[in-house]
Order: sequence, then C-alpha cells, then structure tokens
Amino acid sequence: MTTAALQEDTPGKRAPLVLGHRDFNAVTETVAGIVEKKTTPSWLVLLGLAVSVLLILLGSLGKLVAEGLGIWGLNNTVFWAWDITGFVFWIGIGHAGTLISAILFLFRQKWRTSINRAAEAMTIFAVMSAAIYPVFHVGRVWFAYWLFPIPNQMSMWPNFKSPLLWDVFAISTYATVSILFWYVGLVPDLATLRDRATTKVRSIVLGIFSLGWRGSHRNWLNYEKTYLILAGLSTPLVLSVHTIVSFDFAVSIMPGWHTTIFPPYFVAGAIFSGFAMVVSLMVLARKAYGLEGLITIKHLENMNKIILLTGTMVGYAYAIEYFIAWYGGNEYERFAFINRAFGPYKWAYWTMWSCNVFSPQLFWFKRIRTSIPAMFVISIFVNIGMWFERFVIIVTSLHRDYIPSSWTYFRPSLFDISTFLGSFGLFFTLFLLFLRFLPAVAISEVKGVMPQADPHAGHDDHGHDAHDDHHEEASAKADESEDEGDEGEEASDDAEKDEEESRG
Amino acid sequence: MKRAPYPIEPDTSGKNYWRSVDEFEKSPSFAEDLKREFPEGAAEPPQGTSRREFLTIMGASMALGGLAACRRPEEVIVPYTRAPEEVVPGRPLFFSTAMPILGTAIGLVVETHEGRPTKIEGNPRHPESLGATNSFVQATVLDLYDPDRSQSPQEKGEARTWDEANAFLRKLGDDAKKKNGKGLAILVEDHRSPTLAAQLDALLKLMPDARVVRYEAFGRDVEEEGARIAFGKALVPVYDFDAADVVVSIDADFLHNEGSVVKNMRAFAGRRNPDRKDKPMNRFYAIESAFSVTGTSADHRVRVQSQKIPALAYALAQEIAAAAKVELPAEITSSLGGAAALDPQTAKMVKAIAGDVAKRNGAVAIVVGRKQPAAVHALVHAVHRAIGAVGKTVKLVRPLDEIKSGPAEIGALAKDIESGKVDTLFVLGGNPVFNAPADARSAIAKAKTLIHVGTHVDETGKAATWHLNRAHTLESWGDVRAEDGTGAIVQPLIAPMYGGKSDAEILEIFLGGTRKGYDLVRASWRGAQSLVADFERDFRRALHDGLWKDSAFPAETADLDASKVGAAIKAQKAAAPKGDIEIVFDPDPHAWDGRYANNGWLQETPDPMSKLTWGNVASLSPKTAKGLGVADGDLVNVSANGATVTLPALVAPGQADGTILVTVGQGRSVVGRVGKNIGVDTGALRASASFHVADGASITKAGGTTKLSRTQEHFLTEGRPLVLEASFAKYQESPQVVPPPKKYLSLFEERKYDKGHAWGMTIDLSACIGCNACSVACQAENNIPIVGAEGVQRSREMHWLRMDRYFEGDLDNPTSVSQPMMCSHCENAPCEEVCPVAATTHSPEGLNEMTYNRCIGTKYCANNCPFKVRRFNYHDYTKDTIEQHKMQMNPDVTVRSRGVMEKCTYCVQRINRAKISAKAEGRDRLRDGEVVTACQAACPAQAIHFGDLNDKQSEVAKRAEGPRGYKLLEELNIRPRTTYLAKIKNPNPELEGA
Repeated sequence: MTTAALQEDTPGKRAPLVLGHRDFNAVTETVAGIVEKKTTPSWLVLLGLAVSVLLILLGSLGKLVAEGLGIWGLNNTVFWAWDITGFVFWIGIGHAGTLISAILFLFRQKWRTSINRAAEAMTIFAVMSAAIYPVFHVGRVWFAYWLFPIPNQMSMWPNFKSPLLWDVFAISTYATVSILFWYVGLVPDLATLRDRATTKVRSIVLGIFSLGWRGSHRNWLNYEKTYLILAGLSTPLVLSVHTIVSFDFAVSIMPGWHTTIFPPYFVAGAIFSGFAMVVSLMVLARKAYGLEGLITIKHLENMNKIILLTGTMVGYAYAIEYFIAWYGGNEYERFAFINRAFGPYKWAYWTMWSCNVFSPQLFWFKRIRTSIPAMFVISIFVNIGMWFERFVIIVTSLHRDYIPSSWTYFRPSLFDISTFLGSFGLFFTLFLLFLRFLPAVAISEVKGVMPQADPHAGHDDHGHDAHDDHHEEASAKADESEDEGDEGEEASDDAEKDEEESRG
Repeated sequence: MKRAPYPIEPDTSGKNYWRSVDEFEKSPSFAEDLKREFPEGAAEPPQGTSRREFLTIMGASMALGGLAACRRPEEVIVPYTRAPEEVVPGRPLFFSTAMPILGTAIGLVVETHEGRPTKIEGNPRHPESLGATNSFVQATVLDLYDPDRSQSPQEKGEARTWDEANAFLRKLGDDAKKKNGKGLAILVEDHRSPTLAAQLDALLKLMPDARVVRYEAFGRDVEEEGARIAFGKALVPVYDFDAADVVVSIDADFLHNEGSVVKNMRAFAGRRNPDRKDKPMNRFYAIESAFSVTGTSADHRVRVQSQKIPALAYALAQEIAAAAKVELPAEITSSLGGAAALDPQTAKMVKAIAGDVAKRNGAVAIVVGRKQPAAVHALVHAVHRAIGAVGKTVKLVRPLDEIKSGPAEIGALAKDIESGKVDTLFVLGGNPVFNAPADARSAIAKAKTLIHVGTHVDETGKAATWHLNRAHTLESWGDVRAEDGTGAIVQPLIAPMYGGKSDAEILEIFLGGTRKGYDLVRASWRGAQSLVADFERDFRRALHDGLWKDSAFPAETADLDASKVGAAIKAQKAAAPKGDIEIVFDPDPHAWDGRYANNGWLQETPDPMSKLTWGNVASLSPKTAKGLGVADGDLVNVSANGATVTLPALVAPGQADGTILVTVGQGRSVVGRVGKNIGVDTGALRASASFHVADGASITKAGGTTKLSRTQEHFLTEGRPLVLEASFAKYQESPQVVPPPKKYLSLFEERKYDKGHAWGMTIDLSACIGCNACSVACQAENNIPIVGAEGVQRSREMHWLRMDRYFEGDLDNPTSVSQPMMCSHCENAPCEEVCPVAATTHSPEGLNEMTYNRCIGTKYCANNCPFKVRRFNYHDYTKDTIEQHKMQMNPDVTVRSRGVMEKCTYCVQRINRAKISAKAEGRDRLRDGEVVTACQAACPAQAIHFGDLNDKQSEVAKRAEGPRGYKLLEELNIRPRTTYLAKIKNPNPELEGA
C-alpha cells in the first residue's frame, strides 16, 4: 500500500459518503430531477438500442418455440450449453444486488446507500433475464408450468428429488423477496416523488404505489422494521439461491459437475460477477446523470475491494478443484479437469482464468482501484470471465464424459448467440426504464448518511439545517463510526469481516 | 381429415316425411337452407370490402385462425365392414417369405399390422437366417414404402398404363421370337429364383440367338471364375464355420458383405464362444488391405495391399503343404515358384498360420474374397482339397444356373450394343447405367430399345425406352434358392402399392403367357421339386415354414484341374501390379451398389468402421494420409482408369499403406429425395479390367475440405475399462478375467426386485463384430426417425442403439472392438433422480421407462446419463412423415413429437405383448425366451440375450452371472441391468508378442 493511500484513509476519520457539499434538498433535487426532467435524447437513443436488442431476443425465442431447440447448437452429448450458461450468469449477477441491499444493510455498511437501489433493480432485472432460460430451454415450453406443484387431474406431483425443481422454488422465492425488498425500499422515495408531482395522473399513480406514506414516525418505524425483516429474509437467499443453482451440477454424477465445492464457489462467483456488473453500470449511470457526488469513488473502490476478494476466492476454488481431482483419485474427474485446461476448450478455460483471477489482482493497486476507466474495463473482463466460468463448467464437463465414443464438440448456432445477446436487451431495456421512471438512488437512505443527519456532528460545516426523521439511524451510525476506521488499511478484506472483527 | 357425408340421392320410393312446413310447401328458401351449413351471412365472403371491413375480417381471422391451429388433428377411424380373415386390429400377423441377397437368399418372417408389413425378422427355420438378418434386410421394409418408387410404367418418361405396357411387351416378345431372339439381350441380377431361371431357360429355347447376362456390381463372379478354373465348372463353395477350428480370410469380408454373411456370422460366432463345451474356440487369421468388419474379429491380422496378397497366398499355400506334409499337385507347386519376397514379420506370420492350419486335420476354412484374382480362389480350392477340408468345412454345390456373370460379360455386352449387334436390352432389375464398369455403363444407355424393370426410375430407368415398375419383394410372388440350394417361396405381404409386377410376371408377358406370379411359382415347383409327394400340402407347408424341406443341393464332387490352376497362377504372377498405389472397391455401407441410396435408415446407419453416414470417402492409412498431408475431410483427387474423382479423405487406422478404399454406390444422379446430392459417384474409377482392385492408381491432394457426417469422433477408450478383453488361454486358466462384481453402498433404501420379473440383457463382446443389424432393427421396430447429414454433423442422431467402435494399439496396425450401447436400465438410474417432472421412472420389473407425454424436455436426464444413450427430439422429426412411411410405423410404439427425450425401452411393447398372451394362457410369469427384443432377434452372432434375471435358469441370468460378465461404470453404483461379457481372443501362442 502506498503512503498516499495511507494518508487518505486516516484512521478515525472516514471518507465522506456524499461529496459536493450538498444539503438534503440538493439530494432530492438531483435524484428526483432525473425522474421529473424531460426525457433526454441520449436516453431515447439508448432505449432504442436496448429495445432493438430486446427484439432480437423476442425473435429468437419466437423461432425457438416455433421450430424447437434444434435451432440451438445443442447435441446428444451436450444437452445444456449457452442456455444454462446464460441462466447461471444472470442469476449470479443478481446476487450483488441482494448482497448490497441485505447483507451490507445488516452489517450497517453505510456506503451501500447510494448504490443499493440500482443494485436491487439490477437483481430483479437479472433474475428476469435469467428466467428466460429455464423456461425456454425446455423442449415443450407450453408445458413448462408442470414444473410447479399445481394440483392436477393426473394427481402428478413434480419430482421433489430433482435439483431443477429446487431451482424453481429457489428462483421464484428469490424473485419474490427481491421484488418486495426493492419495492418496500422504494416507498418513501415514491412518496417524495408523489409530493413533488405536478400532474394529476402522476400524483394518483405514485399515490397508489407509495401506499399512503406520510413520513410519520409510525410510518418510519414500520418501514424500518419491515426493511430489516426483509433484509433478514434476503440474506440467506444470497447464499441459498446460488447454492441451489450449483446443485444442478453438484448433485449430478458427471465428472466436473459432481463436486462438493460448488455451493461456496458458486456463491463467491455470483457475488464477484454481480459486483462487477454493478461497477459497470454505476460507472456509466453516475456519469450520465451527474451522480458523482452520491456514488463516489469511495463507493466504487469499496466494490472493487469486494471484487478483488471474491475474485481471489474464485481463483482459490479453481485451484482446489484441481487438487481434489488429483487427491480424490477418480480417473474420470481427473480427466475432466485435465481436459478443461488442455482439451479442445482450453481457450475458454484460460479466458476464464485471465478474466476472473488475473485481472482483478490489479485491484491491489489503489491507483487502479480508484481509476474509473481501469475499473470499468476490469469489471467488463470479470463479467466475460464469469460467463466463461459457467460455460467451462457446463460444456467442458459434458462434451467429454464417461464414454469416449459419444465425445463431441459443441459449437453455438446463430440463435444461441442471439438469445444470449437478446437477454442483454431485456436487461438494459428494463434498467433504462428504471433509471428514467424511478429514483435510481435511495433518497431517504442517502440523506441518513449525510453529515447533516448526524446530530453529534454539529461542529461540522453543515449542521442541523434539515435533519428530521433520521436521527435514530444517524446516531447509530455515529456510535459505530468511533469503532471503525481501520478499513482503509485492510483494503483487501471484505467489509463484513472487518465490521465483525471490530465489533468483537 | 373430416369426412364429408356421402351425397345421398333422395329415395322417393317410400313414404315422404317432411322436416318442416317449408319443406312440405317446397319453398325455395328451404332448398337453399338444406344446402347451406351455416345460417345466412355466416359463410358468404363479404362483398365489396372496405378498408374497415377488411381489417375487421383480417383481425378476426387472425384470432380465430390462431385458435383453430391449436386443435389437435382430427382423425377418422373406420372399422372393417367386412373383417378380413384372421385380422384382429392391434394384433400383428407374421408371414414367412424370403429375399435374395448377396448371391444367396435369406428366409424371413414379416410382421404385419392390419395388412401393412412393418418389420422384417429372420426365419429361424431357414438355414441362411436361423432367425437373424442384417442391416440391409432390416431396411428393406422402408424401401417398400419409399414414396419415390416409380408408380407406373413409363415410355420415355411418359406415364403409361400396364395395358399399354403389356401390349408393348407382347409385341416385343413376338418380334423377338420371329427373329429367334437375334439382337436381344437380357440382363439379370443375382436373383436366385428358380422360376426366373426356368423362364430364362425357356426363353433361350424359344429364342436361341438371344443372350442372358448376369451382372452384380458386387457379386460372386470371381469366386465362380475360380471354381471354373479349378473344376471346369462353376461350383459354389459353401462354408461351414462351425466345423472350422482355424479360419483364414484372404481379403474376404465374409461376415459382413461377402457371401452368406448371416449364416456365416452365426456359425463363426458359435465358435468364438469360449464357454462352449463341445467345440473349442476357433482361431481366426485375417489377411486384408482395408480394415474390414470381419478383420476386427481376427486374432491375428496382416495388413497388406490387396495387390500383394496373391504373393502372400502363394507362400501360404506352400507353407501349408510343407507343414501339413501334404502334396499339392505338381503343376501348382511349380507355378508357385520359389519363396516370394515377404518381409520377415509377414513371413513369420505366414509360417505360423501354416503351422496352425497343419495341426487341425482339415478342420480349416480358407476364405478368399472378391478382391483377389480367380487364380487365388482356384489355388485355395486345391489347398482345401489337399488338407482334407473339402467335405469337412467346405462343401461344393452346383450354382443356380450356368449364366455367366461379371465385368467381362457386361463389358462384352456393352461392346455388342455399341456395335449394334444387340439392339434390344431387357434389364430385369439392377441399375447398370450407374453401377456397371466405367467402360460399359455409357454403352448400356445407348441400346436402341432399352427396357428397364425396376422399383425406381433410376439412371437406367431414365435412359430406358420403357421403364416397367417392378413390384417390391414384399409385394410379389416368387421363389428363391439360397447358396446351398434351399428353396423358399417369396409371398407378398401386401398388394403391389403402385401396381407393379415381378420380374417373372413381366417375363411371362414377354414370352406370351398370361399367368400371374402365384401360378408361375406353383408351376415351377410342381414340376421341379422331386421331393414333392402331395403338392398342395407341401406347397402350403413351404409357405408356412418359409422353406422347402430338404431342398438343399447335394454336395458335388469334381476333379481338380491342376494344370489350369497352375496356368492361372502363372498368368496372375506375370501381370505385375502397375504401381504402388491401389484402389480397392467395396460396396457402399449405406447404399450398397446404389440400390439403397434412397433409404434413409441405411444412409444414416454409420459405417461400421469409420462411423461415417450420408456419403462416401476415400479411406487412407494414417501413413498414406500423412504422406499426402491430408486429414479427415480434406478433398483428394483419386485417379485410376483414366478418370479422376474428387472425394473427401478419411484416415482409416489399420488400412494397408498405399491402399485407397473407395466405396461404390453413392452419388446417384437420378434418385429420390433422400439420396439426392449424397456422396460422390466413384463408378468412373472402376473399369472392367480392374473391377475390384485398381492398381496403378494415383492420389493427390485437391485442396478444400468438407465436413464429414460421423456419429463418432473419438475412437480411443482413453484407458477406461469399457471393453474388457482377455486371451482364451488365460480364460481357460482362470475364467474370472474381469474384476469380480463389487457391492457398493447406497445412501438410499435399495429397491428390491425379487418378485416378478427383473428384465436384463447381456451383450457378448466376443460375438459382436459391429455389423449394425441390431441398430437398424431397433430403428424399424421403434419408429426411430432419421436426422439427415446435418443432424449427424451436429451429433443429433436418434439411434437408440449405437455401435461404438474403439481402436487399440499402434495407429498403423491397431486392433479394434465394437460395443453396442443402449440404455442399460440402471437400477439406481441417474436420469430418474434429476427429472423435475418425473417423466422417467422405474417400473417394478426394473425397466427405466420414459413417459413421453409427461416429458417437457429439460434434458437434464440426458446430461446425467453416463452412457449418453438418451436421444432428444431437437426438431419435429416426425411431423412431415410421408403417408407411405406412416404405414411402416409400428403401431405398438409411440411416435415421439418434438421436445421430448427418448431412448431404448428394452422393447417394452414386446414384453407387454408377451405378457398379454401369457395372461390369456393363464400364466403369470413369462418363460425364458418368450420376449425377444428387436436387436436380439436381428443379431446374426447371437451376441444379445434378453430375459428375466430373477429366473436363475434363464439364458440371460446364466450369462450375466458368468465369469465374463461385467457392468459398465460399476463404481458409480448405478447398477446397470445390461451386462457385457468380456471379449475373449484366441491368439496363436507362437505369435504372442510378435
């Protein structure tokens, strides 16, 4: 660590979470302004692009339903490829949102406030993009509802032993809780927008969705409790959803899939890819909407630290898989791993290593960690790498399994590519609509972490001008902030652990 | 399809009841109402559509049209108004018949459903079948329903009626009679029909100047020629491999595409059974250029160019004579000359073979293939005689007729056509314009009057003046005699679908007769069969049994003409090969000589060695390919006989260096929809002078690459214990040659299968040679679709039973094994655990069952299948099934739709059929052997056994528990129900380590 970095992160005094000497009104104006201002041409252009890509998805799926899975490159050895890769990829991305909003909330990581809203939105949209695949990768889409345990005239239950069924429950629970959590967090901000509404329609619609929010103490009390409970509910989901997704593979008997390391490895990978996606999106959004003061370099740097941590964990998992493959003495497993690294898909494997393990190591350097272009490039690399990780797991394990006579080589078809590309269209369309029509930053929460909100920070320049409902939270923060302060030194460590240690 | 009510004319004879006052008054509005189905305005198209109306109607049509499209197709089931005798809907009937194949004939039992033949089985009583078949016989049923068959006689491409054709034939016949048959030639196939042979005899008597020529692109002409040299007449060697302790193949693929392959397979495999008590395991030496299916079962294999094999055969003959201390006739010995220059390793092998042969006291069969010159065939006759094999392992019988065949004959015919000596050519079956030697085929098309009898308008049919549509074997009356003379009646299973006629019927019309096929056959057997006591009874018996009892030809004795043999050998020796590179021609594994080019099953049946489908290649040895710098799929120019053909190359391990294997039969130009643009016509390389082997050939890299459609891309076992092998000596020492079964623990409660049946299968890898009969039989039985070349390239073939091929050892000279692989019905089936909708479940009898209509197609089961035997319907492969093909479908097996998984069911429909009959007989258990799966029935080697593992006396239980039985991937504790029996080889101890 450089001395410069040491000087910046002086123990005892933390970097402010909101920059630019704003007051509460300025925060409201900045965030609500995005929603209330006229549509900008650049947004329209971006939306047009995103919708075009979305149309590619719709076209691809239309053809898929009309003609069958044969339009993809799958074969009778590799039955899953880009479809399930895409599924795991998107589900993984979603995890960062839940982690930021739930786990960091429970650990009182204040810096999450300016990014949690967008991250949660990203979670929901990512889950929606992910959901395309389990639905459409089945041969008879029109019967996909048989996956749900709906009472029927055949008295048939689904097979509760199947990890795919666990998936159905895991994903639907995850989607439900994520939407609820996101929506509950939105309520105070929707009320703010409602109060600022200039048209009748707007005020009625926002009035409905803000659930009669009055900003009363009782409102806040109930809100905080609900939010805490939902955060508590979401927290195990961060671990469980990807654990269950990993069971799709771990429970099978395919060498390369049948590994007990998968649950933690998948969760780490999910958080890794999710944070990378948040960084990519936030870097763009803060620039586009002038949110540099709310989403500060500090925020981005913290996320980069998590990327560095989880990237290293993922690298460790890659390495330990090799150790176990050798140590376990199972010849098929050993072959599967040798084949990954040196077989026909070695290009994919080493792309994965380069993107996921090597590139985040650059974040050891503060200069890179705090450089917007560098982090943007690395976050994109991480996303590419994590896509390849799933591809490597799925395709390289399947294409050469037990019986060599059925070994083959999977090549994607045009429609594999267009379906995956199209899922980005869905994601970005929804994300752009979100940015335009909903407050992208949690206004009320950000206000709570501003210095003004801290009643004990009277000596500060911006004193007591507008603190109202946030004093509980703010004082809580003040209490803790005395115990914290060494975070900057241990830049590599994750925030949670840090927090825990300091408490203990 | 909805059926409209018949237009019923009003019957005015009875009382008139009126339906309404309107009718009573005969008002015009009622008459109008009667005609219309819907009330006024509902069915008339709107007149003078405005934009708005147009949009309304279009919108409504879109919405309603969409709804209508959701309906399931309506079908009308029409009951028999007068039920045919013995036909019970849903219950199949079986009829015996027979068909000619490979210069012999095979007895068949054909399953029919409501009058539709759906599946061909072998006739267990027929000596050429013994219940088994091969892939071509299995696929014949698909040919019957080929929609591209010609559907009427044609004159220069114009459709004609049979009346017109008959008139033409009669006139032609009358004219020919007047001219004593001058200028008339008849070209026949290797038809094996005594009736047809008698008709041709009669024809030659009526028209002495006519000539009859027989031609088969891959026939037995060299063998016949060899017998003519040795004995002065065409005698047919009939082998009894059951009596042979040592078998030597001299370039002969006698288990796969030469001779009585099905019969040979059974007898040969019987002697490969290491558990057999009465006769020990045989030892098999193969000397060949290309790695043949037969060669894969060899204990020792010598790979050497076909053109160099004669020298090796001469050396072998000398060594055998020396080792067995027998004398070959002096003329032959002198012609063999001194020891040929063999390399030391080959010389050692030849010595060892000779030593082994000498020890066996005549229980030796030396089989010579069609790629070897007649001199070698003749020499082997002499050797057989000298060592006392004649009468023991080889029987000589008379041929069906004395008509000569071969490239020289058809070459002479072609010359006569060109010179105008022959102006009328009657092609009774076959497609000589496509598959005759290169120097003859264009001339055939030039005949002034060319009459083609065939099931398809092929190249010959297109060139013909008259094409007469021939009835399929399964549609016509006829008869055949097998190689050994056993006679059988060919009976029709269905009336000719397109009104075709059989060869005999057409010839009858030509000769001025009016008898139908049935009468012709009866007449022929009534007269010819000396065994017949009561014709009606015996004819019925022959029909029922599928053969004429004791009708085999007696063994002939003939004197060896040693001087001629010696002269032939000398002549052969004098004609030195023209160069180092040779082309050897084989029938195409898919299209045969072109006749099956339009058969989708066969096109998609992988070549047993290269696993190539949908096309043909030039196979090269690894060394030759490396020398040329080509890899699989690279295009090469192959030249011989002044012609050059561009083919994709394929590296074939085990092939002799400098040998190019080219198959003939693909690349048909006038062919139906299936065979269109498949493969390359290689016929130009094949001249009559170098018909089976073209020496002095050349090959160059052409540049460019094509994608080969192969069902297997990896041919190494990677050291995995998939195919277990041991030597016979070791097996005799201690029979436990495979690791003994282990008991693995399961986390779950184990299912018990101690009550009722526990179905299981055993596959004997010692017997299996990988001929694909089982695979095609499975396809026919289970309505398995084909996926086309592109589907195979994407590895989406649907075969429930695939044949895996592995090579082992040296790349240049490996050994090879084949392993049939289908669903093993694991007791702890990994597929069942992971299916989210419980579409694949276990039956109480241990079958892993697929419920198609529950399957939603997550494909997880297939991912989790360690054997990768599950097959997914990526497209709707059966949606566009042609009406004719629908008739072939087995009604007992569901036709699968798009998006569902499928796999081997252990022929559950056959199990259930047997159970129903057992129940009807009041039994609650099936007897051993009552259920025979399609693959098991077809297997000529009897490698597959199926039955109840709970019945400890059953064949399958005994085999499964025998010392050779092992389970694949046992350590996964999936507990497959299919047991493989280790392959036992019987190498010569003298050559061990060589």
